[in-house]
Amino acid sequence: MESSDLQRRYIDFTSTLFREGFLDSQYTQLQQLQDESNPEFVTEVVTLFFQDSEKLQDDLTRTLDQEVVDFKKVAAHVHQLQGSSARFSTPPMRSLCIGAQRVKNVCMAFRICCEEMNREGCLGCLQQVRQEYFLVESKLETVFRLEQQIVAAGGSIPLMW
Amino acid sequence: MSMEEVEGSHGSMFEGGVEVRVLVVDDSPVDRRVVEGLLKRSGAMFQVIAVDSGKRAMEVLGLTEGKEAEQPTVDDPKIDIILTDYCMPEMTGYDLLKAVKEQSCQKPIPVIIMSSENEPQRISRCRAIGAEDYLLKPLKTNDVLRLRDYARPAALSPKTGTKRKIAIEMMAENSGSERRPCLAGLAAA
Repeated sequence: MESSDLQRRYIDFTSTLFREGFLDSQYTQLQQLQDESNPEFVTEVVTLFFQDSEKLQDDLTRTLDQEVVDFKKVAAHVHQLQGSSARFSTPPMRSLCIGAQRVKNVCMAFRICCEEMNREGCLGCLQQVRQEYFLVESKLETVFRLEQQIVAAGGSIPLMW
Repeated sequence: MSMEEVEGSHGSMFEGGVEVRVLVVDDSPVDRRVVEGLLKRSGAMFQVIAVDSGKRAMEVLGLTEGKEAEQPTVDDPKIDIILTDYCMPEMTGYDLLKAVKEQSCQKPIPVIIMSSENEPQRISRCRAIGAEDYLLKPLKTNDVLRLRDYARPAALSPKTGTKRKIAIEMMAENSGSERRPCLAGLAAA
């Protein structure tokens, strides 16, 4: 396939991801930090992101599994999850991070459940968090695949912001 | 007025110059990696040491909680700037800032706080005990370039004495790059 066709596909796909809250401007920042001396920077950071999130999700599962749930601890984990995946600038700027406007929304609901000491609610939120991360991960895999195809076809990866 | 070593008129400050050693403290591996990427990419010659907690930072700095550095490490500090996240478990960036500023040596290392939250009260608390700056995450290239300004002066001047010394007041008298033929010997005592 021509690199220009691939680039068009890439732009269409990533535009949708931006619109749906899977990607935002920090992804572009990551792209800009990638160069010959840092050739794998984007995949490195994204991998770290998913490893870190998985660890936090496991911590959450463990904490919610206890006989007596320590809701303060749960809230602290959620805060970490939220912090690692969503940092906020002051309005009117958008929230900035990899794919996590959606996760941010779930985290907010999660924290309310913690305040209410609602275990079932927390478990429901955790399930949603897992689903969101799974979705983000698969979308990003598609993005990376398209990027590789573009480069292989001799083209350059469009910056999206 | 003090004498300063000055390079040639168009010489870059960093020619044969010294890298600024930044200690990055953040419990998030993602944030650490991104900040490291930013620092390395900015072209401003940073050497990055990244740790995941205030406790580890204290170890790198040679400080133990409750005990001041016995031999003030002014002579050869391993770190020129500390860039620390605010929100960390156990030891927060604020705690670390406080510990660093409480050192008895003359010039404690500059500390810059990073945070995702733009909270005025938090910002004034940090500045009140000596934080040089408070940066909002995610950091941008401009934020990072400013770090050089905060670095300890020793980190910026080359140590060798091969450069001509020119009295600062002579420089101040001349606008632009033209230098009068007055020599250092005429500097006021």
